[in-house]
Amino acid sequence: MASFWTLQLHPISIPHRVSTNAFELRPQLGFNKSYRIWNAKNKYKDFFLKAAGNSSTSGEDNPIKDEKFLIKSKRNVMLVLQNQVSRLQETIISLPPIILSIKSSPYSKLALGFCIAASVLIVAVRAYVARKPRYQRQGSVADLVRRGQLNSDRRGISKTPMYDDPFNNPLVKISKNNSSVEMCGKVYRLAPVTLTREEQNIHQKRRSRAYQWKRPTIFLKEGDPVPADVDPDTVRWIPANHPFATTISDITEDLAQNNVYQKHGVPFRIQAEHEALQKKLEALQGDQKFNNLVIDPGTARNFERPFKSNIKLDDQQVEHNSANGQTGLRPESQPKSHESSSNSTSEEKPTQ
Amino acid sequence: MTSLQLLTEPSSLSSSNFIPFNPLYKTLTKPTTKHYPKPSPIRSVLQYNRKPELAGDTPRVVVITSGKGGVGKTTTTANVGLSLARLGFSVVAIDADVGLRNLDLLLGLENRVNYTVVEVLNGDCRLDQALVRDKRWSNFELLCISKPRSKLPLGFGGKALVWLVDALKDRQEGCPDFILIDCPAGIDAGFITAITPANEAVLVTTPDITALRDADRVTGLLECDGIRDIKMIVNRVRTDLIRGEDMMSVLDVQEMLGLSLLGVIPEDSEVIRSTNRGFPLVLNKPPTLAGLAFEQAAWRLVEQDSMKAVMVEEEPKKRGFFSFFGG
Ligand SMILES: Nc1ncnc2c1ncn2[C@@H]1O[C@H](COP(=O)(O)OP(=O)(O)O)[C@@H](O)[C@H]1O
Ligand SMILES: [Mg+2]
Repeated sequence: MASFWTLQLHPISIPHRVSTNAFELRPQLGFNKSYRIWNAKNKYKDFFLKAAGNSSTSGEDNPIKDEKFLIKSKRNVMLVLQNQVSRLQETIISLPPIILSIKSSPYSKLALGFCIAASVLIVAVRAYVARKPRYQRQGSVADLVRRGQLNSDRRGISKTPMYDDPFNNPLVKISKNNSSVEMCGKVYRLAPVTLTREEQNIHQKRRSRAYQWKRPTIFLKEGDPVPADVDPDTVRWIPANHPFATTISDITEDLAQNNVYQKHGVPFRIQAEHEALQKKLEALQGDQKFNNLVIDPGTARNFERPFKSNIKLDDQQVEHNSANGQTGLRPESQPKSHESSSNSTSEEKPTQ
Repeated sequence: MTSLQLLTEPSSLSSSNFIPFNPLYKTLTKPTTKHYPKPSPIRSVLQYNRKPELAGDTPRVVVITSGKGGVGKTTTTANVGLSLARLGFSVVAIDADVGLRNLDLLLGLENRVNYTVVEVLNGDCRLDQALVRDKRWSNFELLCISKPRSKLPLGFGGKALVWLVDALKDRQEGCPDFILIDCPAGIDAGFITAITPANEAVLVTTPDITALRDADRVTGLLECDGIRDIKMIVNRVRTDLIRGEDMMSVLDVQEMLGLSLLGVIPEDSEVIRSTNRGFPLVLNKPPTLAGLAFEQAAWRLVEQDSMKAVMVEEEPKKRGFFSFFGG
């Protein structure tokens, strides 16, 4: 039993010793590669045997026997090596080197160069021919798109016309068996939605029990009296300092509704302000208080609001004045206080 | 619609790509045709001409609400609104978030808002002057309720919004297909005002317990107010966290609220980037994950459809043969 183990153990030590020999052989034979392959093969064997040998303890028992076998196997290996090397040398000699064979005929070299040149030329000509029609088709709709005159998304001529359908485009791919979807390069598993109508109704009932709510029918400022015909439960109390809501409005509900529905013409407030100014002017004209008054740009600015229609308004004032034969004259000292006070009230009203 | 698409000439059929018939497409987008069954979807054959079929009466007045703040109402309004406009529907988005208005910022229209509904009510301008038309999609218009620092007169309550919808209905250029109302957070006076004219609601929520409790409450109030058609969008979903059981899944959310799903929007850093640019996500090219999800939600909104399947978990992509050596 012990001898059996030692027999198997021999090759472990072989590679190391042989390898030194092989190195010695190398300069003589000029033979490198096959040695390496052979060596590598042996290494694997070596590893395998080491693994096997580790499990046994009998390997160290008879070192003398070991030595004897070693010498024997060494001689065998040397023989095999010499055989292989000589065979390889023979094959190398029998094969004519490729580069030498090309070098030997200058004509074939020329032909090779010609082939390369011809293929380059063909590629160039093909590319040119393919490009030519594109230049000829100048002035197509694509140019309009490029100039921003047409919307490419609608024309279907841009690069990504397919993308309008979010369920079916190059970035959304659904697998054959509907179990997964690939979106933007990521694969997701798909799970069916199981919510049924009954479950939805159960949730609805639960909510209607949990959140009993009546829509407020009226918004009142805190402290205001509740009108007689209003259910106190439906009053929403808005504090006076609410950040964005107020119960105060300077126009009536009907008026506001009309304002929303108005489609053409001058908006209501602009019109109203214009009329108020005109009335005031007429009253002033009736009083004949324009005499000896000088134009004052400060007063004129009092009339201005950030709307364009005011420019028109000022023009009309000037027209009125000129009609009275008092060109370049505007009301000043006495009307000023009156106007500025009335103006400020009309300005402040909406912000309260 | 189906018949219209059938009329398309064979030449256009051959020029466009055919899509292989996909059964899941049906499960994802099938319109809710409970009253009358429709023939199987020929419309899915043609990609160019495919348009969602508008269900319900116009204008569809949809309020987008959530209860909790910062869950993505404004983002949803902007993206769903522009998706609808891209699909060819005329849309008016009303920023009813008095006090904290920011829809104009998301749309990049902040410099063009001169007048608001408060000015219209007061008679300082007409309604058509207060509507801000988007230059990218001319069938999209924005209407703000009030300037950030002015107060909304609540004397006539939500009636003002009902008048607005009425006025939009008989405009010269025709009734808009969709009126989207971006609702303020909370259940305060602003909320009550904003939901007044709506006949359907989109509830935006995130898959966390605080948002869900508010969402349930808001749903209850909407139902008390007579709005029965309520669908939800679950926003900021992270499939990686759901897989690790760190976040509720969309199906968990649905179990808690009992609402049908209009869409599931993944968490996407592109959302913030598009907010900064004032350029809604759905206009991005190439499309992003969240953008596509918003567009799908818009599609379902048009068809009054809901999701039949949800993406639950990220599967690792099948690894190539050589990745074995790399790893
Ligand atoms: N899917 C998402 N992924 C990443 N960030 C998001 C997503 N949805 C919303 N956000 C971010 O959340 C914030 C709040 O969104 P917003 O729409 O203003 O909420 P709300 O209108 O409900 O208050 C924004 O900064 C937005 O960028
Ligand atoms: Mg908001």
